[in-house]
Amino acid sequence: MIVDDLSRRELAERLSDGGLRLRTGPVVNRIQSRLPSVLDGIALHYADHVVEDRGAFADFHVRIAPPTNARRWIAPQVRFLFDGASPFLPLPANQAFAMLEWGLNWCVSSHCHQFLIVHSASVAKAGQALLLPGHPGSGKSTLCAGLVSRGWRLLSDELTLLELATGRVVPLPRPISLKNASIDAVRRFAPEARLSAVVHDTAKGSVAHMKPPTESVHQAADTAQARWIVFPQYQSAAPARLHPLSRARTFIHLADHAFNYDVHGRKGFELLAQVVSDADCFAFEYGVLREATALFDHLASRA
Amino acid sequence: MSLLPALCWRSVPIEALVWREWDGEIVVRNERSGSTHLLGPLASQVLKVLAAADRPLSGPEVEDRLAATGSSPGTAVEVAAVLSEFGRLGLAEPAAAA
Repeated sequence: MIVDDLSRRELAERLSDGGLRLRTGPVVNRIQSRLPSVLDGIALHYADHVVEDRGAFADFHVRIAPPTNARRWIAPQVRFLFDGASPFLPLPANQAFAMLEWGLNWCVSSHCHQFLIVHSASVAKAGQALLLPGHPGSGKSTLCAGLVSRGWRLLSDELTLLELATGRVVPLPRPISLKNASIDAVRRFAPEARLSAVVHDTAKGSVAHMKPPTESVHQAADTAQARWIVFPQYQSAAPARLHPLSRARTFIHLADHAFNYDVHGRKGFELLAQVVSDADCFAFEYGVLREATALFDHLASRA
Repeated sequence: MSLLPALCWRSVPIEALVWREWDGEIVVRNERSGSTHLLGPLASQVLKVLAAADRPLSGPEVEDRLAATGSSPGTAVEVAAVLSEFGRLGLAEPAAAA
């Protein structure tokens, strides 16, 4: 069963009673919330995702709920609860779905040490993955959204999971988080993309989410080989240009972008070395999304 | 001419180092500290010389061994700077001459 198979009433019941057991890639999230905005966000962005049975094992038990104090009525807020505890400060209620997304990211990056986790978008074509590690503002999510709008498979927008035994990329296809000017850039580039309403004045500025492509969700069990590692940097009006990056420098940058490189010790070192050895590595500047996606289409066509 | 004996250096035990080399650059993990470092071409060669040595080496001895391997030796100042940096990073430590 997928989320789209549930009526709005059924989805609301699951979310408010025992929890919606939502599979996202290798993990199952038990999500509870009575907030309409959370329901709307899940109905839109996770329409194609598998819903596990009510009693199924869940990796993460999360809830989005209002605080139980007076703020419930004045300038309402919401909390993200993980196993009943609240690891973050509350946020304004209109950021409820964004908070769920950020919380689910935190669940994975803080707990899924069966993977080496890199702060990176990743997409694939013909089973070959393009990793786009980058700091906030580098343009990785914009580029990721542009590429999936041009037929690349979404592996992940934010957290690239590397399988410890093989170094292959394990898909975690979830909504793509777009911020500020990138929201309109993606709207112009891919008018058919399904975006949520924009939420303003978050800690990250204005935020909207883009629904992951249905095919990417259907292929969430198919791992991909890391073929290209590209560190993007958006610069207004800059021509799209790849600069070869040495493997040693790529290694260090990837380790810097990994959430749990140190957790894995020598195994993490050897895994990153293997991934870097098997990939072509570049720094990348771009200022026009159309040029950038065309360049990567060309790169993939030569592989 | 200094009357002081030349400072000698030894690398951490080779079994405590894991490295990969690509195009003359090395990424090395020090198992003792858990730290990972990027070494440029000269530092990579110096680390190999120190790790292969059976005794602590002075700067001039490192230069001689670099020259003997046919790799491009650095100047005395450059090699001294690399050894000092290795000391700071925990990849090598000063030691009495054998």
